[in-house]
Amino acid sequence: MRMKLYARRRLRNGIFVALSIAAAAFGIGWLALILGTLVIEGASGMSTTLFTLPTMPPGSSGGVSNAIFGSVVMSAIAVAVGTPVGILAGTWLAEYGRHARFAVFVRFVNDILLSAPSILVGLFIYELFVVHMGHFSAIAGAAALAVIVIPVVVRTTENMLLLVPNTLREAAAALGTPRNFVIRTVTWRAARAGIITGVLLAIARISGETAPLLFTAFGNQFPSSDLNAPIASLPVVIFQFANSAYDDWHRLAWAAALLITFAVLSLSILARIFESKRISQ
Amino acid sequence: MTEKTPADLAKRIDIRDLSFYYGEHRALKDVTVPLYERQVTAFIGPSGCGKSTLLRVLNRIYELYPNQRATGQVIFDGDNVLEGNNDVNLLRAKIGMVFQKPTPFPMTIYDNIAYGIKLFERLPKSELDGRVENALKRAALWNEVKDKLRQSGLSLSGGQQQRLCIARSVATRPEVILLDEPCSALDPISTAKIEELIDELANEYTIVIVTHNMQQASRVSDFTAFMFLGELVEFGTTEKMFTSPTVKRTEEYITGRFG
Repeated sequence: MRMKLYARRRLRNGIFVALSIAAAAFGIGWLALILGTLVIEGASGMSTTLFTLPTMPPGSSGGVSNAIFGSVVMSAIAVAVGTPVGILAGTWLAEYGRHARFAVFVRFVNDILLSAPSILVGLFIYELFVVHMGHFSAIAGAAALAVIVIPVVVRTTENMLLLVPNTLREAAAALGTPRNFVIRTVTWRAARAGIITGVLLAIARISGETAPLLFTAFGNQFPSSDLNAPIASLPVVIFQFANSAYDDWHRLAWAAALLITFAVLSLSILARIFESKRISQ
Repeated sequence: MTEKTPADLAKRIDIRDLSFYYGEHRALKDVTVPLYERQVTAFIGPSGCGKSTLLRVLNRIYELYPNQRATGQVIFDGDNVLEGNNDVNLLRAKIGMVFQKPTPFPMTIYDNIAYGIKLFERLPKSELDGRVENALKRAALWNEVKDKLRQSGLSLSGGQQQRLCIARSVATRPEVILLDEPCSALDPISTAKIEELIDELANEYTIVIVTHNMQQASRVSDFTAFMFLGELVEFGTTEKMFTSPTVKRTEEYITGRFG
């Protein structure tokens, strides 16, 4: 009787394990297919001119240097604006607003912003910037990306600060340290690796965003460093070139997609390194 | 209750009718107890009796949390520290605190000690170095860390971290040191070192220690206060408390019959 029960349990266990493996294989299989196609198609379009030449009309060999430049510039501005705002807001939530009713509201709104479709962010900035300025611009694109960066940084900053034990705050306060000094010199420092991880993940998130840039930065065939003018970006170039009828544009789109994927992958790896540093602290 | 108090001892802190509330819950009930200058006073009692709470009132660290409230008087330097017109940071600079778990800051050993000094004093580098060295020597940690002052304070062992925290407290030159179960997370050897240290520091500072360990209280303290359910049951010299307590419950607790 006992052995029979045990044998049945073993059988059930075997079925369960088999199902789990099948589900995992299904998920990973698709991922491998996507990445495999991307690498094979993208690698054929990879060349040094990809980085040195701007986008050109079909037929002439061009690159995506203007789009790389645009993406880097807009991401940099977005991070420069979004990071301080996000860190300060997250700090308020974790340090000052922990027991405030207003914080519940701020956290709720931030969560909505975090999961809002990015195309809405694009439309919002379109209304706010593009309509008033009368034209698309790199600044508008950067603003849209900043709006996406902020909630990510707010969230991670708050979570990382909440992980800092209260005893550490008490110990600093017990020396006669004013509260804002405790935050700047002890709690931020204790949460530093986690906060940096959050910023890196925010960069990874915006580097692939297309929708918010369509209505804001628009795109630009030609190299431009004018922040007040439309500017090219990698995701938008991919979108336009992949939709075209030309084979050489398709190749460039694949190569650009591979480029973004690798950038995001490197950022994720970097974030993991910081994350493991946080834990080993 | 305190008939054996040596008359020549000055009260460094005088606690009168102190009550404490966590929201609605009353954790301290009209506690009146003196803390004598340059003496070690130990607070003992079962978990939840309010001894740590009492310690947290003395430097007003409880104020970091809302819904915590103290009433009564804590007379220090002639003022009631519970009246809000005193600067809380200056108070905390004079009344240092060491916690149950070691709390080194995420910075170098040197910076851990210099942190508190720099809050209130601007010293030339050489003088600051001297103060750091002195504090580490006072905490009997200097020999172990003198060659790695630039390493993270988190790299030290638990016992070393706790001595680092004591050194950090001493470095700011407080007048009173509060120790909240400073050895409960440490091994016996580290505990012995810290007890030696308390003995040493008692020559200069007024020390208040909360402990679960009866032997520790009898070893390190001059006066002992026994608390139960938020009330002070008995206070007296440690010698009297451990040999002939007047209240039956004190005797039962000290001999291990309850708590």
